[in-house]
Amino acid sequence: MNIGAFRSDPAMVTQTVEVPASTAWPIVLAFGIMLVVAGLVTSESVSALGGLLAVTGAVGWFRDVFPRERHELLTVSPEVPAVTTGRTTIDRTALAPDRHRIWLPVEIYPISAGLRGGLAGSVAMAMLAIIYGLVSQRSIWYPINLLAATFFPTAGPQAAGDLTRFYPSMFFLAAALHLSTSILVGLLYGAMLPMLPRRPILLGGLVAPIVWSGVVYSILGIVSPVLDSHIDWIWFVISQIGFGVVAGIIVSRRERIPTWQRLPFALRAGLEQSGMRDESHHGGEQ
Amino acid sequence: MSAARATVAVVRSERAPLVDTLHEWVTTVDHKRLGILYIIYALLFLAFGGIEAIIIRIQLIRPHNTFVSPQVFNRMFTMHGTTMIFFAAMPLVFGFANYLVPLMIGARDTAFPRLNAFSFWLTAFGGLLLYFSFLGGNGLYGAGNAPDVGWFAYAPLTSRTFSPGHSTDFWILALLLSGIGSMGTAINIAATVLCMRCPGMTLGKMPLLAWLNFTMAGLVILSMSPLTAAQLMLLVDRYLGGHFFDVQAGGSAVLWMHFFWIFGHPEVYVLAIPAFAFASEIIPVFSRKPIFGYPVMVAATLAIGFISMSVWAHHMFTVGMTSAGNTFFVLSTMAIAVPTGIKIFNWLATIWGGKVQYRTPMLFCVAFLFQFLIAGLTGIMLAAAPFDWQLSGSYFVVAHFHYVIVGGILFTIFGAFYYWFPKMSGRMYNEALGKVHFWLFTAGFHLTFDFMHVPGVLGMPRRIYTYEPGRGWDIWNLVITIGVLFQAVATLVFLGNLLWSKLWGKVAGSDPWDGWTLEWSTASPPPAYNFPSLPEVRSRRPLWDLKHPEDPDWHYE
Repeated sequence: MNIGAFRSDPAMVTQTVEVPASTAWPIVLAFGIMLVVAGLVTSESVSALGGLLAVTGAVGWFRDVFPRERHELLTVSPEVPAVTTGRTTIDRTALAPDRHRIWLPVEIYPISAGLRGGLAGSVAMAMLAIIYGLVSQRSIWYPINLLAATFFPTAGPQAAGDLTRFYPSMFFLAAALHLSTSILVGLLYGAMLPMLPRRPILLGGLVAPIVWSGVVYSILGIVSPVLDSHIDWIWFVISQIGFGVVAGIIVSRRERIPTWQRLPFALRAGLEQSGMRDESHHGGEQ
Repeated sequence: MSAARATVAVVRSERAPLVDTLHEWVTTVDHKRLGILYIIYALLFLAFGGIEAIIIRIQLIRPHNTFVSPQVFNRMFTMHGTTMIFFAAMPLVFGFANYLVPLMIGARDTAFPRLNAFSFWLTAFGGLLLYFSFLGGNGLYGAGNAPDVGWFAYAPLTSRTFSPGHSTDFWILALLLSGIGSMGTAINIAATVLCMRCPGMTLGKMPLLAWLNFTMAGLVILSMSPLTAAQLMLLVDRYLGGHFFDVQAGGSAVLWMHFFWIFGHPEVYVLAIPAFAFASEIIPVFSRKPIFGYPVMVAATLAIGFISMSVWAHHMFTVGMTSAGNTFFVLSTMAIAVPTGIKIFNWLATIWGGKVQYRTPMLFCVAFLFQFLIAGLTGIMLAAAPFDWQLSGSYFVVAHFHYVIVGGILFTIFGAFYYWFPKMSGRMYNEALGKVHFWLFTAGFHLTFDFMHVPGVLGMPRRIYTYEPGRGWDIWNLVITIGVLFQAVATLVFLGNLLWSKLWGKVAGSDPWDGWTLEWSTASPPPAYNFPSLPEVRSRRPLWDLKHPEDPDWHYE
């Protein structure tokens, strides 16, 4: 398909073009300098010849560009190659307007939503875990000691029987672990929720905890066999779901804020670029 | 028949006499001719360096071999490394940059055409001076001829005590000259990119090749200066009784290491970034898709350029730096993998979903993606100081950097040759021979450099003249040498293809690849003035806009 030549304005095409004139002085100067240094490893006379050539080259070059740079005129060929393409065109089937190929987080939850969700989820999870401790071991300290012993087995009792008693060090360790992990997961939740299509609470609150529990179930026997032997997996899954649902509800209640994802990178990076704002308006609708 | 003969006679009579043609080339300031001169010069030195590599490998093909003497062996690996880095790879990169950058940004020439010619000739004479050492390097003491101190020439080996005669002086002076030439070219490229862009070509609409060569030019300016300074200091040590690197007189041998490697590691990126540039132009065209993540590619390039200036001492872990120093250089070296990884993902994302055409340039670029990834992974391994302590100075390191320079950089340079050969010569290359070259070279490359890691892990030191049998190195060295022969044959096929195609290849036309950047809008080969009128662009793919006025890129950028 012949389209045309690359000429924005035919009136701008002239008959001749001025380009820098050919010159021998750069090679003379370069050769002279090479001989100057080669003389260091050969003979002084080589350096002397090189110096002479270098001075001649430098003077010649100077006269080439002063008072006015020497140019030569080239005749422009009347034949300008046509710009063509071999690309075949095809009909495109338009997607339904409500169908998207990708989900960009064009709106996100604020960071505080993730923090609050994480904290609320941590409370829900802790309550479920305490209920489990009361029901199964008649002690609220059992799940707390179990959590601390997972990461710091030397900080407290090793025997299962001791896990029902209160240990201040185990309590603070477990509280710190639980809170920090919950806040981090809450932040992750806040960031990911806008990217989950359709029922985000179902996916984030139910499916993700079940998948996560499956992963933990499959590797815990290797990582910590002692903990693995003490965990009640049904309660584990219930407490994970409790966290997910509560955190999801808290996060999703917050109002979303728009991101700059629709805008070009140069604009997001604060670089100036002419016409960027108008073009971004078109681009953002694609 | 007679008419055809008459036509031929007319054409012949229009040809300029040989001496006039030579005069035109020697006095040219045209960026395209200088680019081609750079490339031809580099190919010549590539052949020299290749012959030296073959000699090294024949010597190591079996234990206790005496194909060459230990003295000649030392000269061979010194000249091989020096030639390949300074007189083959860099001129190749500069040649393509010279040829392509002005064309791709819609300029008539570089910013400083005469400086361009001067820089080329200075580099060329530097190479000739280096090789003149084979003839004139005996000096006063009859002590060797060509340099034999290794390509990074550690002190105190370069002192007059250990390097009498002039062989080391030739090395210093040749690199001094070519270094000044390289800086001239780099200044020219940077100025051209900043000042000579055609109307409408903002920095954000510039082809990636121009962006990447601009970064490369900045790195050359920053990294060549310390090397040049160090060469001058070494000359002072050798000629004027200086003690910069003389430990016994209060100097420091480690100072030379710092000077050399603060040049040496950015140098890897001086070569790699233009290789990335070739991949960034070739992969989109043969995937029939625009490059994925243009702004991130630019940002990653700048990040690589910036970080590469802070990693040099990972070459010196075994020197015995402080733990803080080791930690810094471990982390900075590993950090460079992040922007490099971004680039690899972006190239893959460009190919993903594209209508991929596996022509020879694309084959080289696809192989580059795999090989550069492996080179990067072994680089990360060596970036960990404890690992480096085990394998520094072994053939594992040799395998790693050849994976970078051959598997990464040379492969894309071959791709660039095939991609822009039609533009430079006006003729198409032979596709079948191109593919023969690719497969032979790829096989040879993997035979050589995959298996070179093994003797390195088994403890074989680099630069060893020969070795005892029965250490488990024998079979690997045999395979490595066989791989080199594959590469040599493949290179001959490549050179034969270029020559044959230049003389008898099919006429290419101005745009054989249905390309999108400005060089494809002008004739092949382009006229001396490049464009009849300066083009005006509105997007990163001006030819796409022209070919598809119903769906131009500037709608989306």
